[in-house]
Amino acid sequence: MSSDACSYTDYEDGEVPEGFPRTGEGATGAEAEVWDALCEVEDPEMPVSIVDLGLVYDVTVAGDEAEVEMTLTYTGCPAKDMLQNDVRCAALTASGVRDASVSIQYSPPWSVEMVTEDGREQLREFGLSV
Amino acid sequence: MEPAEAELFRLADDELVLAERYTEWQIFAPTPESDLALANIAQDEFGHARLWYDLLEDEFGYDEADLVWERDPDDFVHSTLVELETPEGDWADTVVRGYLYDVAERLRLEALEDSSYAAIADRVAKVQGEEEYHREHAQSWLDRLTASDESRERVQAAVDRLFPHALTLFVPTEHEHDIVEAGVRTRSLAELREDWLDEVVPALESLDVEVPEPGAVVRPEPLGRDGSHTDDWFALHEEFTATYHELGFDEPAELRGENA
Repeated sequence: MSSDACSYTDYEDGEVPEGFPRTGEGATGAEAEVWDALCEVEDPEMPVSIVDLGLVYDVTVAGDEAEVEMTLTYTGCPAKDMLQNDVRCAALTASGVRDASVSIQYSPPWSVEMVTEDGREQLREFGLSV
Repeated sequence: MEPAEAELFRLADDELVLAERYTEWQIFAPTPESDLALANIAQDEFGHARLWYDLLEDEFGYDEADLVWERDPDDFVHSTLVELETPEGDWADTVVRGYLYDVAERLRLEALEDSSYAAIADRVAKVQGEEEYHREHAQSWLDRLTASDESRERVQAAVDRLFPHALTLFVPTEHEHDIVEAGVRTRSLAELREDWLDEVVPALESLDVEVPEPGAVVRPEPLGRDGSHTDDWFALHEEFTATYHELGFDEPAELRGENA
């Protein structure tokens, strides 16, 4: 640890776990529809889809019930309830889905490395360096 | 109470109360950078409290009002370290408190990485990732504050005052045996205490700060973990629940004119 008067934080890159980020590639039927709907949900702080941010971990539709597993960029995210509700409402727009639930998971932990190439492009356009 | 439930209360209450104390620095911290840093750290700690309280909701059937807003202050089990009022304007107090807490927090989380309770183990990596910056922040300020005599004296005074309370981080409750036996936490509080002392004592001494002899420290009377607390806690509790009570959730909202 440096004792320099002017210290700084080193933002190290995280690792991308096998199989992440998930984008719904290969999904079919109602699940594909839910993924498409989630692509329209944007992060509350920047105009990037939560799917491109790598925040959606899984989508399953059983019968007329959709279940979405997602994460948050950081644990203190003040938009947690709002996001969960946006995601639930988006999932409900898929045909045949009558009920939807959203669970928040913290494993694997999200990092900037989990943003898709499209997401990076959009973040750069927004003015962030990624 | 289930062992996991008991461990979750310790975790969540510590984080919530520490975050409450940190937020008191908003707009008062010594530099804009430290103000932002502490706001950020407080937000993380609130986030961690929420993540542990969420598990108490999902797995043990509590709701937010039970856990935070309507819980009897005597039922909170955080360490007295996190509840103490900050002496006015004493930045060294906050730095020392953060340092002592954050090292203990890292050790505790390491002992939860392989928790037999999967929902806890799953959340540890995310929390650890955010905690690293907290320790870096505390350490960098400790280094700066101990670089001159006057501020080192403040650090020394804070260590003298806070060290006995920091030891309450490791005070066991009636659930300790079950927590370890069930593998919810893979190390006992006694072991964590030893690890913590092995780290913080030489680190502080290397900065020319004297650390009280742990065995000779007079334990504070309220231990926090058993629900006994200092007066500072009851004042803080009243303050942070005041708005909730003002909102009057127990009275149904009425439309204008209704029941008039």
